[in-house]
Amino acid sequence: MIGERWGLTPMVKVEVVVAGEDTPAVTEVFKEAGAVGFTTVPNVSGFGHHGYHQGLLAFNDRSSLVLLMVVLPEERVESLLEGLRQIFTERRGVLFVSDTFVSRPEYFR
Amino acid sequence: MKPAPRAAALRAIAELASDPLPILWPLETAIATNPLWDMRSRGFAGAVSTAEHLLGATGYPSDDTFRCAYRDGRITHADLVCALQESQSTAGGGTEGGITTRAARSHFDASLSGGRHLAGQVDAEVAKWCAAFLGGKLPLSSEGFYKAWLRSVSTTRWARRPRIKRLLCGLPPTAAEAAVSCLALLGIDEDQWRAELTAHLARMPGWAAHAKWRSRWAAPNAAGPALELVDYLAVRLVYEASIATEASIATGESGGSEGSVSLEGSGGSKASSGTPTGLTAKTRPQQQKATASLDLIPSLVDMDGSDGREVWLRAYEIHYRHELLRNLTRQAVRPSSLAPTAQFVFCIDVRSEGLRRHIEASGEYETFGFAGFFGFPVRVHPWDGGSVVDLCPVLLRPTLEVDEIPADVQPSPVSDLLADHAGFAGVGPAVEEARQGEVSPYVLAEASGFVLGPLAALRTLTPTVFAALRSWVSAKLAPQPLTGFDLQGPSSPSDDSQALYAETALKTMGLTSGFAPVVVICGHAATTENNPFASALDCGACGAVGGARSARMAADVLNRPRVRELLAERHIDIPKETLFVAAEHDTTTDRVRVLDPSSVPSSHTRLVEALQEMMSRAGQSLAVERSRDLPAADHSRASAHVSCRSVDWAQLQPEWGLARNASLIIAPRALSAGVDLQRRAFLHSYDPDSDESGSLLETILTGPMVVAHWINAAYYFSAVSPDVYGAGDKAAHNVVAGAGVWQGAGGDLRLGLPRQAVFDGERLYHEPMRLLTIIEAPPTRIDSVIDRNAVVKQLVGGAWVHLVCRHEGAWLRKADDGSWRELADGGPSPYPDFGGPVDATLEGLQTSQIGGSQP
Repeated sequence: MIGERWGLTPMVKVEVVVAGEDTPAVTEVFKEAGAVGFTTVPNVSGFGHHGYHQGLLAFNDRSSLVLLMVVLPEERVESLLEGLRQIFTERRGVLFVSDTFVSRPEYFR
Repeated sequence: MKPAPRAAALRAIAELASDPLPILWPLETAIATNPLWDMRSRGFAGAVSTAEHLLGATGYPSDDTFRCAYRDGRITHADLVCALQESQSTAGGGTEGGITTRAARSHFDASLSGGRHLAGQVDAEVAKWCAAFLGGKLPLSSEGFYKAWLRSVSTTRWARRPRIKRLLCGLPPTAAEAAVSCLALLGIDEDQWRAELTAHLARMPGWAAHAKWRSRWAAPNAAGPALELVDYLAVRLVYEASIATEASIATGESGGSEGSVSLEGSGGSKASSGTPTGLTAKTRPQQQKATASLDLIPSLVDMDGSDGREVWLRAYEIHYRHELLRNLTRQAVRPSSLAPTAQFVFCIDVRSEGLRRHIEASGEYETFGFAGFFGFPVRVHPWDGGSVVDLCPVLLRPTLEVDEIPADVQPSPVSDLLADHAGFAGVGPAVEEARQGEVSPYVLAEASGFVLGPLAALRTLTPTVFAALRSWVSAKLAPQPLTGFDLQGPSSPSDDSQALYAETALKTMGLTSGFAPVVVICGHAATTENNPFASALDCGACGAVGGARSARMAADVLNRPRVRELLAERHIDIPKETLFVAAEHDTTTDRVRVLDPSSVPSSHTRLVEALQEMMSRAGQSLAVERSRDLPAADHSRASAHVSCRSVDWAQLQPEWGLARNASLIIAPRALSAGVDLQRRAFLHSYDPDSDESGSLLETILTGPMVVAHWINAAYYFSAVSPDVYGAGDKAAHNVVAGAGVWQGAGGDLRLGLPRQAVFDGERLYHEPMRLLTIIEAPPTRIDSVIDRNAVVKQLVGGAWVHLVCRHEGAWLRKADDGSWRELADGGPSPYPDFGGPVDATLEGLQTSQIGGSQP
């Protein structure tokens, strides 16, 4: 509906929050699943099962939380989720998957 | 394009499979880390148990160490009783968290059931190719190890065997896909992938640790060939698949050709012969239950191996804790109430403690401790165009980027200096390249032997003269200009940003008022020769490089009027007459020098000169103190001796580095001033009265404490398990493409610290204990920081670090159950202190009583 109305292409957006030290593992899975780019937001804070999580730790990037976002075509999502599910068998974090729309699909293929 | 099935899952599983393996930084930045870091959530006992099963690593000091300590009074009866009281059994098995060590050996053992030599041949092949790849000797190296290896191995005789050829030709183009294919070919179900991959990684933990560094810790665009974890695993799996392929046709077929893996003697079957060839071949024999009598400590008798050793280790640690807390209680002196003549900020490194003590004894001087990057995580672009240098702990990515600039270019213009440096700097690499060639060594010997030969003789016979000559030549041919940083250029960090970092640094170290006329920011570095592990002696907080640039950076920023204006807006008023001066402590020679004396304004010249003289005297006193512990040292002329030692290219022990490190004190200096901490304590300044929210304490516990723990654990495991977590004898080291060292001519890279860093001959010099962290702060504040930071919770709750709190005149210990328990005078009272050498009835203390059996 949205895509048709504004001439946008449907894609899937996956957002992951993990400890900074797990960022390389997540980005490797992104790349292996065929993602051509991603966005990271370092030092995010919040509240969850393990209590409050600080945002910026002045002298430690590896322990503060990072939000990673990737947008990719639907056919690559299954592979991506297979990898991320493996990571979350032992690593703390959260994963959100949602529909999204992009104006330049070639950027994500 | 749709991605290959399961390749992304393989990558994730490989990540988890590598958890039990250490991380190995390249020699250029040899960071000391806890080799069990990625198993920290299991707790100390659980992690060492897993490492023991997986790698054959010992997790505790040897029984002999404990026995000698007991005999010598280093562990007393009272310490043991106290340890029993404090201990809660936390020993874990090797199966939690998905690392099923028993399963991990299953397939690899079975598939290589022909014996150890077969697995050894796979290791040798892989090690050979890894070294060639990192040495830049394979084509396609920019496309990763797997592709480069596949291209090169395809030209070998091994690859021309029909089945091997078919296997190689059918391999997918990427490493992850190839690994998935091989696992399928081997018939390994996905729920066994992790165990299989862990088994492969554990065969050569050194190479695995390098690959893990490259995949997890290296900067994304780091220079040089990238030996990634999945590439490394893919190559290993192809070799395993090749064995399975050939096993199906050629029972007893012999190989042994170039690039080959022989099945000779294997029987050609996956059926297990019962001979372990995989990762757990090193597993120690089953530990016996202690049964012999030890009347004084009956509880110990009922403990088996690791539980018993845990108690002995705690007793060893408690003895140190007791002495330290008692000394802090009784010997600490209140700092003078007079305004200090000068203030000094040193790195928290244990080697700074001695210098601080001698400086404080020299007059009205106040000293502070802070991580040696002084709060400025900087990426520096060197003035001579050299590679960028990151000046911060590896826990941080540099967030500031600055250009280093020659501050004084007279009389030579910059272009001349650059040309001189380029020419001079090219000599070493050119000679080295000539030495590595096939024919060029002969040419080199013919062409330059008449010069290099006598120089080598001079260097051997009179190291000090040679070093002086080299310095003179270097100064003549390529003079080193005075350098500074471009802090106001268009690409420089903003003034606000500089002020923010300055504010964080000053507040964290507790220096926000009462500034002296001169504040010396003193970094540290070590002068050594012919030492692959030289960077391990430099400043860990600066990313294992010398601390001079960090000191200059901090001083330059803090001297800027605009930064001071911004700091004043944040209620930090630095007087106009206060000057920040950069200095450096050479920990090998104990020379301390002001880095840029010519840049000191005339108003401060006399004071800085006086400080320089005082620091030189303090350094000489420290050299005398330190030389008492150095092997074969000439105490009568300590300064000359340590200088000569530092430039002797045959010297295996230029200094003791951070050996015997044992504690971290996070408190105002008043808590420890006047106490001889024997260069065993990391000292981080902290003012609890100005940190109601605990945010500064949080910064220290999540940063400097983690780094101190890493160093402590690196020394601990290099001492207790030198065969697995130590780098071996320096005399037999061969450097492998800057990645690490071999012991001899090939095989696995060695982990950890060289034997000479922790042993004095056959005797253990380092005292392996877990870090004792002492914090002056309310316990509720400490608990709050622990609760909201998983990494601190894991370290404290997992007994990787022991915590003691100083609050309102009392000492409180963090117990295993998380509660705080008061310690009277720091000691193990109310238990009786039997102290001193043990009596004859305990001389016969048996191994089994200590808690285990010898293999």
